[in-house]
Amino acid sequence: MSDITDAPATADATEVRAWLRECVATYVRLPAEDIDENLPLSEYGLDSVYVLSLCADIEDRYGIEVEPTLLWDHPAIGPISEALAPLLAAR
Amino acid sequence: MTLVDPAGATSPAASPDPIDRLEALFGDAGAAGNPVGREAVLAADADGSMLAAGEDLLDAFGLNAHFVPEALGGRFAGPEELIGVMRAVYRRDPALGLGYGAGSFMAAVNVWTSGSAEQQSWLAGHLLSGGRVACGYHELAHGNDFARAELTALPGPDGQLLVNGRKEVVANLARAGAVVLFARTDAAAGSRSHSQLLLETARLASDTLTRLPRFATVGMRGVPLGGIEFTDCPVPADAVVGTPGHGLETAQRSFQLTRIALPGMTLGLLDTALRTALRGALGRRLYAGTAADLSLSRTVLAEAFADLLLADAFVTVAARAAHTAPGQSTVYASAVKLLVPALVMGAVSRLSELLGSQFYLRAAEQPLFQKLQRDVLPSAFGHASRVSCQAALLPQLPLTVRRTWSAEDGPALPPTTFRPGEPLPPLDFGALKVTAGGRDPLSRSLLQGAERPTGRGEDAELAARASQYATEIRALSAEAARLTPDQLGPAAPPHAFDLTTRWAGVLAAAACLGLWWERPGDGQGPGAEPAWVLAALHRLGVHTGRHHDPLPEPLSEFLYAELLRRHDAGLTFDHARRPTGA
Amino acid sequence: MSADVPEWPTGLAAALADAMAAGAAAGGAFSTARSAALDAAEAFPGEECDLLDASGLARAYVPERLGGVAGGLPELLSALREVARRDVTVAVAHGKTFLGSVSTWVAGTEDQQRALARLVTDENAVVAWGLTERGMGSDLLAGNLTATPEPDGTWRITGEKWPINNATRGRLICVLARTDPAGGPRGFSLFLIDKSALPEGAWEPLPKEPTHGIRGADISGLRLRDAPVPADALVGGVGDGLGIVLRALQLTRTLCAALSLGAGEHALRLVADFAVERALHGTRLALLPLARRVLGRAAASLALADAAALLGGRSAHGLPGEMSAVSATVKAGVPWIVQQAIDDLAELLGARGFLTEQHADGMFQKLERDHRIVAVFDGSTAVNRSLLISQFPLLARLIRKGSYDATGLAAVTGGAPLPELDPAALRLVSRTGCSIVQAVPDTAERITALAAAGELPPRAAELAALLAERTGALADAMAELPPTGRNAPAAAFAVARQFEACFAGAAALHLLAVPCAADRAVVLTAALERCLELLVPGHQAPSDAFEPLVTPLVQPVEEPVR
Repeated sequence: MSDITDAPATADATEVRAWLRECVATYVRLPAEDIDENLPLSEYGLDSVYVLSLCADIEDRYGIEVEPTLLWDHPAIGPISEALAPLLAAR
Repeated sequence: MTLVDPAGATSPAASPDPIDRLEALFGDAGAAGNPVGREAVLAADADGSMLAAGEDLLDAFGLNAHFVPEALGGRFAGPEELIGVMRAVYRRDPALGLGYGAGSFMAAVNVWTSGSAEQQSWLAGHLLSGGRVACGYHELAHGNDFARAELTALPGPDGQLLVNGRKEVVANLARAGAVVLFARTDAAAGSRSHSQLLLETARLASDTLTRLPRFATVGMRGVPLGGIEFTDCPVPADAVVGTPGHGLETAQRSFQLTRIALPGMTLGLLDTALRTALRGALGRRLYAGTAADLSLSRTVLAEAFADLLLADAFVTVAARAAHTAPGQSTVYASAVKLLVPALVMGAVSRLSELLGSQFYLRAAEQPLFQKLQRDVLPSAFGHASRVSCQAALLPQLPLTVRRTWSAEDGPALPPTTFRPGEPLPPLDFGALKVTAGGRDPLSRSLLQGAERPTGRGEDAELAARASQYATEIRALSAEAARLTPDQLGPAAPPHAFDLTTRWAGVLAAAACLGLWWERPGDGQGPGAEPAWVLAALHRLGVHTGRHHDPLPEPLSEFLYAELLRRHDAGLTFDHARRPTGA
Repeated sequence: MSADVPEWPTGLAAALADAMAAGAAAGGAFSTARSAALDAAEAFPGEECDLLDASGLARAYVPERLGGVAGGLPELLSALREVARRDVTVAVAHGKTFLGSVSTWVAGTEDQQRALARLVTDENAVVAWGLTERGMGSDLLAGNLTATPEPDGTWRITGEKWPINNATRGRLICVLARTDPAGGPRGFSLFLIDKSALPEGAWEPLPKEPTHGIRGADISGLRLRDAPVPADALVGGVGDGLGIVLRALQLTRTLCAALSLGAGEHALRLVADFAVERALHGTRLALLPLARRVLGRAAASLALADAAALLGGRSAHGLPGEMSAVSATVKAGVPWIVQQAIDDLAELLGARGFLTEQHADGMFQKLERDHRIVAVFDGSTAVNRSLLISQFPLLARLIRKGSYDATGLAAVTGGAPLPELDPAALRLVSRTGCSIVQAVPDTAERITALAAAGELPPRAAELAALLAERTGALADAMAELPPTGRNAPAAAFAVARQFEACFAGAAALHLLAVPCAADRAVVLTAALERCLELLVPGHQAPSDAFEPLVTPLVQPVEEPVR
C-alpha cells in the first residue's frame, strides 16, 4: 500500500507546523494566521472524532503511519508537531 | 416574504375572520392546563379517543357551517376558505380535523353536487344543528376502487330498495346521524351501476344492521372508524342521491373538491411538524451549540418550509381554479392529491431526523412529533391514493396533447386565480365535470408566462425556470402523444403512469409561477421575494425525480431566517402567515 | 453453487427460523397475534427471548475462540436478521447483549473475555451498553457519569445513563464513565458492571420510556450512586474509553444492517401476499405492471442492501482497518435504502398498512415504526454521514488513484474461509480508504470480460461501466467539497448518500464478478440497476429490470373469478 501516499521530500517540525496550521485553517474556515498553535483543536470545533481525519491527512502527506490517538494525547498543533518529529525523522 | 407583520391589533376573539376566532378559541397550545393544548391532544391520542374539549370547541365555533353552502344557510363559499379554517384545526390535532370535520364534508359534497333540493335542505339543517354525516364508501376488499363496491341497494320482492353488504373503516359511522352510502344499484358491470344513498341512521331498521367493531389504527388514533353490515335493510326510494346509477359520476365530480381540500388541510399538520422540529432543534444541545446551528439542520428545515410553500401554492391555485375553471378541476384535483400528500409525508419524515432519538421518545421534549408522524400516514391512501389519481389523469393525457399542448391555443386561467384575496366567481357544483375535455388552462398560463419579455425587473433566474418548465411541457406532450390506447388503463406500463407525475409537476410549477407573476404590485408582503419561488421549484425538482440536490445555501439561509422570524412571531409557515398559538 | 462465492452463513439462522416458526405455528412466541398484543401493551417479549436463548443465539455474540459460533460477524448478522424478519422489537431486545459485550472483545483482558463469554453463553446473561445520558445527544464526551478511583484500586461510580436498551433487564452493563474531571478524548473509561454484585441502594433503574416503535423493548435507564466497582471491571486502560467505543461501534453499526434487512424482508413478504390476494380492476394487484414495479424495485433495494451488509460484515474480518469507513457507510446507507423500499411498499398496501388489527395482525405498521429506530441507533444517520464526510479527502484521493488493499478485498469478496475477526486490527480511521469502492473500476473491467464471455447478462456490463463512471464523478464531488469540521454543509451529506449507494453498488459488483449461479447474477444485476437509480436522477431502468425478482414473490397468482 505504499503507493497511496505522496510524501514531500523533506519535512521538519517547522514545515509540519505550518502545514498543520493551513490544514486546520481550511477545516474551520479561518485565516491561517488566526490559528493559535497552542490552543486545543477542540476549541476550533474539531472534536475528538474529527481530528481523526486530520490524522489521515498527516499520514497521506508525509507517508508515515500515525496512531490516531496521538492527536488525542497532543491536542494542539504545536504539541502534535513535536510528537510527529521522531516519526518523520525515522522515515 | 421578508416582512413580518405585527399581530393584529384587534381582539381576535371578536374578529369577523373565522380563522382568527378559531385560533383565539384554541389559545396557546403549549400553555399548561389548556384543555385543547398539546398535552390534552397527546392524552386523547394515547387513549384512542377524540379530544372531547376540542369537539365542544368546534361545536361552539360552528365548524359545520363551513361545510354547508352559503345558499343553504351555511358559510361554504369554496374550498379555499374551508382549507384555511380546517388547517387551523389540523395545526392543533389532525385527528380532530378528520374526525370532527373532514369526514362530514366528504359525505356532504355528494349531496351538494347531485342531491335533490329536499336532500340538500335536510342535510344542511342536519349539519347546521351540529349533526354529523358519515361517508360510507370504503369496503376493505376494494379500497379506493369504488367501481368494485359490493354493497348493494336493489329492489326487493315488493319493489322497495333493500341494502345488503358491508362498509368498513368509515369515520364516525357509529355516531353520525346521517350517512351517505355508496351502493351498487344495478347488478350490471359498467359505470352506471352505482348510486349514493342519503340515509338518516336513526330511521334504519335496527334489526337489519350489525355494527362491526371499531377499527384500530396506528395514527389518527382518536378517529372512531367504524363498520356496518346490512341485511335486507329497507330504505326509502327517495334516499337515492341524484339520478339512479350515476353514483360514480357524482363521486368523480364532487370529490374534486375534497381532493383539493384534504391535502390543503393536511398542510396544517406539516406546519405544526415544522414548528415542533424547529423548536426541538433550537432546544437540543449538541456539541458546542444546538442542533439548529448545524448547516444540515437549517437546510432540512428550510427544505420542509419550501415544501410547505410549494404545496400551499399548488393547493391555493387549484382551489381558486375550481371557481374559475370548474370544468378542468378534475385534472387539478387529481394532480394536487397525487403530489401534495407524498410531499407532506416526505417532509415530516425528514424533519424527524433533526430530532435524533427525541422523535422516537413519546415522553421527551417534543412528544407531539411522533404523533404527527403517525397521523400523516392516511394522507397517502385516504380518500384517493396516488395511483388512483394517476389513473384518473392518465386517460386525459392524449386529448390534452391534442387540444392544449399541440394546438398552442386555448385560454389560460383568469389572472384572478393567482391573486389570493381577490373575489372569485361563485362555486358552481354543476360545472364540475368528469373529464377536462383536453383543456388545461393552468399549463397555458405557464406557457404564456414563459414567453413574457424579461427585463422590467423580472428575475432572470425565475424566467429561466419558467422556460425550463415550458420545455418540459413540450417534452411531456411529445411522450404523451406516443401513448397507445392500451396504455391508458390500470394495467398501463409504469412509464405511462410516470407521465402523470410529470404533468402534476408542471402544474405545480405553473401555480408557483402564476402566483409570482400576479403578485401584488406593491412589493410588500409574503410574495414579494423571488426566493420562495426558486426554493419551491427547486424542491419540486426533487419531488418529481429531476435531481437529488439539497437546497442551495443562499436559498436555505434566506428561508431559514424567515422561518425563525415567523417562529418567534408566532406566525404560520404557509403563504397566509397568520398568527397562531399552535 | 460454487464454493468460491461469498455467502451468508446459514446454520444458526436456519435453526432460529425453525424454532420461531414452530413457536408461531403453535400460537405462542413469534405468532403475529402475540407480537401485536405485546406491542399494544408495551410488554417485553420475554417468551420470545427465552426461545432465542434456547436456540443458542447468544453464542453468536461471542467470538469463536471463546466458545461462540464459527461464522463471526456475518453469522451474527444473518442470525439477527432472521429474528428481525419476524419481529424487530425482539431482535433489538436480544441483540443488545452483543453491544454490551463488544467492548470487552475489543479491549478486555483474556480473563475478562473468558468470564464474560461464560456468562453470555452459559447463563444467557443480558448485557446492556450505557453510552448516552440525558441532554448529551450523540456527543460521547458530554457524559457526566463519573468513576472515581479508590486507594485499593477499586472504583466508585455515580451518575445516570439514559435512554439505554435493557438498562433494567440487563444483569451487566458496560458504561462509559468520566475518569478525568476535565473530560476530553482521554478523559473517559469503560467499566463492565455486574449489577447483581452491587450492594443494595447503589443502583436503581430509571423508568421505561414509552417509544414510537419497539414499544415492548426495555428502553430505560440506570442511576448509580457511589456504586463500588472492582478493579477488574475496568475494560482497557484508564482514558481508553473513547477509542474502545469508537472501534466497538464499527462492529455494532455494521450489525444494525441486520435489523433493516429483516424489517425490509418482512415488509416485502406482507405486501407481496397482499398483492396476490387483492382483486381490483378485474384482475389482481400483483398482475398490474405498476404494482409489479413497486414490488420488484423493493426486492432490488433489499438485494442491494444485502450486498452492502454481506461485504460490510465480511470486511470486519478481511479489511478490519477500513471499518471506520465501511461501518459508517453501512450504518447510514442500509437503513436509508431499506426505508425507501418500506415507504414504497406501504403505499401499495394502503389502508392495511395503517390498521393495527388487520392483515397479519397489523404487522406492517409495527415493523414500519420499529424500523425507524434503526436510523437512530448507535449514532444517527447524520452522525454516521458526518464520520464519512470527515474521511472524504482521503477517500477521494484513493478512488482517483484506483489503489486498494487487494489482499484484504480478496478475503472479503472471495469464497475462502474468513480469517477470524481481530479487534486489535480495527483502526479509528482507515488508512487505506474503502477498498470496496476504490476497486470498482478494476472489477467493472472483469464484469465486462465476463459478460463478453457470455457468463453474465450484457446489462451487467453496462451497469458496471455506469457505476465505474459514477464512482469517478463521486470522487470529484468529494474532492470539491471544502474540508469541514463538525458542521458540514447539506451538500456534503448529499455526497455521503451517494457514497453509500456507490458502496452498496460496488458490493453487488464484486459479488457479480465471482462466478455464480445464473439466478444470483439476475438478482445482483437488478440490485445494480437500483443502485444506479439512487445515484443518477432520471436513470432509465429498462422496463423489465426488476421483473425477474417479482415472479418468485407473487406465485401463484390467478385472475380472480368474477
